[in-house]
Amino acid sequence: MSHAAADTAADAALGSSGKLRTAPKSSTPVNRWRNSSKERAYRRRLVEVLCSAAANSRSSGPCSIKEAADSALATTAHGRSRWSRAILFARRCRGSGSSRKLLAKAGGTRCRLTSAPPPPTKKGNKLGHRLRALGRLVPGCRKLPALTLLEEAADYLAALEMQAKALRDLTDVLSAAESGGVPPEN
Amino acid sequence: MEKERFFGGGWKSAHAGLLPEVSAFAGDEHLPHSFVGFGWEQPVHGQEAHAQQLESALSSLVSSPSSNAPDGNDSVVIRELIGRLGSICNSGNVSPSSRCHSAHASYYSTPLSSPPKLNLAGADHQRQRMLVNQVAAAPFLADQGFAERAARFSCFGAAEAGQLSRVSSRQSLAKEVAASYAMMAGSSSSPEASSASEKLTAVVAEHNARKRKAAPKGKGKAAAPSSSSAMDPPEASPKIESFIDASKLCELIPLPQEENSDSKRCKAAEAGGADKDAPVKPKTEQNSSDDGNAKPPEPPKDYIHVRARRGQATDSHSLAERVRREKISERMKLLQDLVPGCNKVTGKAVMLDEIINYVQSLQRQVEFLSMKLATLDPQLEFDTETLLSKEMHQVHVPLPQQVLFPLDMATSAFSLAQLPLKLAENPPDSMFSSLQLPPIDHLANLWEDDLRYVVQTGFPQSQEAPFSSGALRAE
Repeated sequence: MSHAAADTAADAALGSSGKLRTAPKSSTPVNRWRNSSKERAYRRRLVEVLCSAAANSRSSGPCSIKEAADSALATTAHGRSRWSRAILFARRCRGSGSSRKLLAKAGGTRCRLTSAPPPPTKKGNKLGHRLRALGRLVPGCRKLPALTLLEEAADYLAALEMQAKALRDLTDVLSAAESGGVPPEN
Repeated sequence: MEKERFFGGGWKSAHAGLLPEVSAFAGDEHLPHSFVGFGWEQPVHGQEAHAQQLESALSSLVSSPSSNAPDGNDSVVIRELIGRLGSICNSGNVSPSSRCHSAHASYYSTPLSSPPKLNLAGADHQRQRMLVNQVAAAPFLADQGFAERAARFSCFGAAEAGQLSRVSSRQSLAKEVAASYAMMAGSSSSPEASSASEKLTAVVAEHNARKRKAAPKGKGKAAAPSSSSAMDPPEASPKIESFIDASKLCELIPLPQEENSDSKRCKAAEAGGADKDAPVKPKTEQNSSDDGNAKPPEPPKDYIHVRARRGQATDSHSLAERVRREKISERMKLLQDLVPGCNKVTGKAVMLDEIINYVQSLQRQVEFLSMKLATLDPQLEFDTETLLSKEMHQVHVPLPQQVLFPLDMATSAFSLAQLPLKLAENPPDSMFSSLQLPPIDHLANLWEDDLRYVVQTGFPQSQEAPFSSGALRAE
């Protein structure tokens, strides 16, 4: 959070001195995904998607929710990063061409949990193996060079954190709604 | 005194009202001199008078906090020149954006020109750093030409105004500026940024290569192309060319030409810059060896232009490799900040392992949470507004890595007025025990890794235990 504080301090300094300039934006993935505006945007999108999915009554299981959450995440990224574009593109491809069965099957494969990381090799190419494993984890980044892969991974990681937090909050809200009865209004 | 000189210099009456206001504002007697200089050769037009006032006011704003040093003659002269050049550039261009840009150029440089003859390298570097940070923090991608020019301008300003006797301090300044650009280039990874930073270091190297000539002339020469090219790159080239012909200074002629070629190549592929690396690099090495100073401990790293370290290979391949490795390690540091508990880990391989594990655990968490949502979802008809208002409360809750998740806050903040459906009330011993979900066992193994991360990240165990038990009952 010190990054955010430093950045906002720099922004304030710059803003006061340069009235004619717009507010500068920080470009590290941490700051990009940890500000509340992004969080709010994502949560709004997530809730909308879930509501629409519930209204359509076509949500046929956990996978669709995950996909909805992922597509909301990718949309919130505005498609600037490779993984977000890969997610959106994959969704669009799947949604348009195939039948329900294929969709469910593909969704099922996507829902299958990823395998454990490869055991550390004895050869000197540990880095390469690990980088490739990371590329498999981040959507759409299988054959990227190390530099871009690390950058995408950082962005994806920050986005995932935000997504996990948002989903956790949402489930807490809903389960609180179930369990707590009628809490006093604030 | 300088006051009389400036007053006698044809100071227009249009600024009469400005001066007392400016001096009152600035609270510094030396500052108004520069503002007078701003309007020196400026014909008094309505618009441009306002522009001058604007510039002056802005300059005062910026200069007043930074200029606490005694005002030597040189700084005043320099400021006067800046003002003159700014006004000259203004007179040629009516668009307000250009005026603003030259205002920016002028007042970005004034903090640097204001501490004259400071032998305190620390204070100077502070200013450089401040300026560099400001420049770096500016919307670089939005107006990258300007920021680059301003930074270059600041380099020149520091060199000339401060009259630093030590080359190493200049080099470290250049290194800092270039380093900040390198970081920007690294983080933004745009070809524009890298080529701009390349230009910057090339410019600095170029400047290092020459002996410092008469300060005002060089300053003026540098100021003109900088401020003029700050306005508009395509528009700048004819201006620069005309200025080159006018001043006939040989030392800086290759510089603006380099600028022009670089600005034309702004969008060029990054590989093109590598060719520039070879010719520029030996020159800098030669010069740094000529200067006889120790090479800076951290040479300015840049996408294209790299200064070779002492005793290391200097061919372009190894340099490029070193740049690439530096970038990779920089990204790894970024990731290290993201992944909790990676500060103790050293080495790329183990770091990558941790990163992979963390990504997997996050993905699993997301899947699990979405599964839970799926079970919760059809049971409730929730209102978008309610959820959003609820979530707004929780946006301010810090990330799970840091703080215990406030369960009671969740329950209290939530208003069930719109919820039509309520399940049977359960004893609220734990939020998740109320989930009427059938248990599964095989998820428990998969959650071990996540629990490990949970412990590492400081999740409260009590919170996560019912969480996992909820997971067990998820299906």
